[in-house]
Amino acid sequence: MRHALTVAAKDLRIFVRDRTGMMLTFALPLVLVTIFGAAMGAMGGSKSLGKVRLLVEDLDASAKSSALVDALRRADGLNVEVTSDVRARVADGKAPAALRIPSGWGAGLEAGRASGLVLYRDPAQSIEQQIVAGNMMPALMSVAGKEIGRAMMRKSLKAFGIEGEAADEMEKTLSATLAEADAADATASGEPSGATSGDQDADPLRGMPRTLGLEVDDVTGPDHASETTAGQSHAVAGIAVMMLLFSLSACGGTILEEEAQGTLQRLRLTPTAGRSVLIGKALFTMVVGMASLVLLFAFGALVFHVPVATAPLALVVLSFAVAAAATSLGLVLAVTCRTRKQLEGTSTLVILAMSALGGSWFPLALTPAWYQKLGHFTLNAWAMDGYQGILWYGRDLRGVLPEIGVLLAIAAGLMLLALRGWRRRFEVTT
Amino acid sequence: MTSTSSSDTAGTDPVNQPLAVAVRGLGKSFGSRAALRDLDVEVRRGEALGLLGPNGAGKTTAIRILSTSTAADAGHVRVLGLDPSRDAAALRARIGVVPQEIALYDELTARENLEFFGRMQGVPPTRLDERVTWALTAAGLADRASDAVKTFSGGMQRRLNIVVALLHEPELVFLDEPTVGIDPQSRNHVHELVSTLRAKGTTLVYTTHQLGEVERLCDRIVILDHGRAIASGSLADLQSRVPARGGRRLALGSADRAEEARALLAAHGIEARLERDLPGLEEVFLALTGHELRDGGAS
Repeated sequence: MRHALTVAAKDLRIFVRDRTGMMLTFALPLVLVTIFGAAMGAMGGSKSLGKVRLLVEDLDASAKSSALVDALRRADGLNVEVTSDVRARVADGKAPAALRIPSGWGAGLEAGRASGLVLYRDPAQSIEQQIVAGNMMPALMSVAGKEIGRAMMRKSLKAFGIEGEAADEMEKTLSATLAEADAADATASGEPSGATSGDQDADPLRGMPRTLGLEVDDVTGPDHASETTAGQSHAVAGIAVMMLLFSLSACGGTILEEEAQGTLQRLRLTPTAGRSVLIGKALFTMVVGMASLVLLFAFGALVFHVPVATAPLALVVLSFAVAAAATSLGLVLAVTCRTRKQLEGTSTLVILAMSALGGSWFPLALTPAWYQKLGHFTLNAWAMDGYQGILWYGRDLRGVLPEIGVLLAIAAGLMLLALRGWRRRFEVTT
Repeated sequence: MTSTSSSDTAGTDPVNQPLAVAVRGLGKSFGSRAALRDLDVEVRRGEALGLLGPNGAGKTTAIRILSTSTAADAGHVRVLGLDPSRDAAALRARIGVVPQEIALYDELTARENLEFFGRMQGVPPTRLDERVTWALTAAGLADRASDAVKTFSGGMQRRLNIVVALLHEPELVFLDEPTVGIDPQSRNHVHELVSTLRAKGTTLVYTTHQLGEVERLCDRIVILDHGRAIASGSLADLQSRVPARGGRRLALGSADRAEEARALLAAHGIEARLERDLPGLEEVFLALTGHELRDGGAS
């Protein structure tokens, strides 16, 4: 036993002196738990966290439509923005859903016609649709429940051939019943519906749209695509970006390997070396990165039918920008870390945190606004926006230029940092 | 303390040659530890200088400064007429550095390593193949050119490590303990390679702990200790500075009449004792195992 304790004490001493091991053991789980806790809390519908963005185009501008907008605003799970041209914005992925209130909707309700509302949806964001449904239906019913019910009843009675006084009598009876139900609701202390995605059917709106006077219009995605391919597009792009970061940081790490084996020092003493060593490493890393992306997307296309051929030029240029940014990050880490082991620990921490924050693991749309803003400080978020834009929303090169621009700016900034670190560490003789 | 060699007596041709290395008052510290203090060294073109000293004496630091790898804190340094800190790129094209550690790509073959470093050292593409072939032959690795370096023995890697630094035909070569940890056959091969360089007029600065190597390969010796040059000169110069032991050796042309010679001396009242002139251990080893390189096994 004494010898066992001696061995254990020795291993503990070595472990405590290994900062990288300590970081991976203790810091990494804490960082990931923090990130996931924040993100998952939002998905679970906690009031303090995320809301799903719902665009509303109020063409009616009546008291009834204003009341509906106000009711939607009061819903815990929705972040309502009243704007115009909502269909195009959903189609472009700017928001997961939008409600269009047509002109005359309020008057139609008063006249017993519950129709004309249109809900535009982005099927790629299926979880958000459940949150929208869970929050929108109570709001709609609270504002126009009676009218909708009356319209439904009239339609039903008409279907059974009941019209005239008999129909009026039955409508009065039903109205009284509804009034009693309202009174009962008022006395109850029921909470308004929050983001109840977990309790909803897969597509709660599909089963009851027209009877409520609501049409559902799924507006995005390539013609042949399905919700499954939307998820798979996200998964393929997310994993591609994350694994690219890992593999390119490993490529950057060859600088440290060369330093350890003495070849870097030998290269420094050649007349032509200098920064060409760093630039050569960057080129090598870029080639590996592009090859890795081509392989992953080809696999995604073959196995999961990810629509990579819709805008090939945009995909190639975006992938180049992603690979450039990831390469620069890998080089910054390589010239900053002292040893390969330190690089492995640091890059694992940085890349996993960036992937979780930047939407490589789950769509950022599910997370709170602050999380999304924070996520866009990572290159993952811009890469994911770009890939989703091409693969799901069918954008062409022009459509993803903002993402490409940001990624190239990140690449340039990080490359400058890498060059500075390289110069300080490997070029200046001290 | 300084030690210069402007009036050295060792070597014949180099004495009248211009200086390849001129160092005055060189100082270098790492934190509070002084690695070099007020060091003066000169090396003439075509000369082979042995840099000796115990561990931590400053040999490697001196080579790093002269070869543009490290900047000096103080002093005046000229290598082939250039300032290593200002004219690093130009100087690097004219010097070769054999590092103490093996600095090769294990996964690449010997030829691939040589081609890569040759290109990086600026060997013209038209001459690259010729230089690589020369290097493989000089290292005794022509028949293993296509094998990965990781399959080489320590001696083979050492030899390749040396010729990599010679691809661009440098005028001045720094060799930092180039024979560490290799078998006598490989060491002997390295000695022959260095001797060839000397014969071609290449200036050499050679550090080692193997004193016999310096004796065999170098025209002149500088001994460093605690960052200073405590002595310099030819081996004979240095030997003359150390008080001789009481005895003297008398070399006879032939051992046939040695006993007769001893008796003659005794007859004149001169006490003498006969000793056999025994070979050193390395000489015995090479005699028994041969001079041929033993590259059959991997390290």
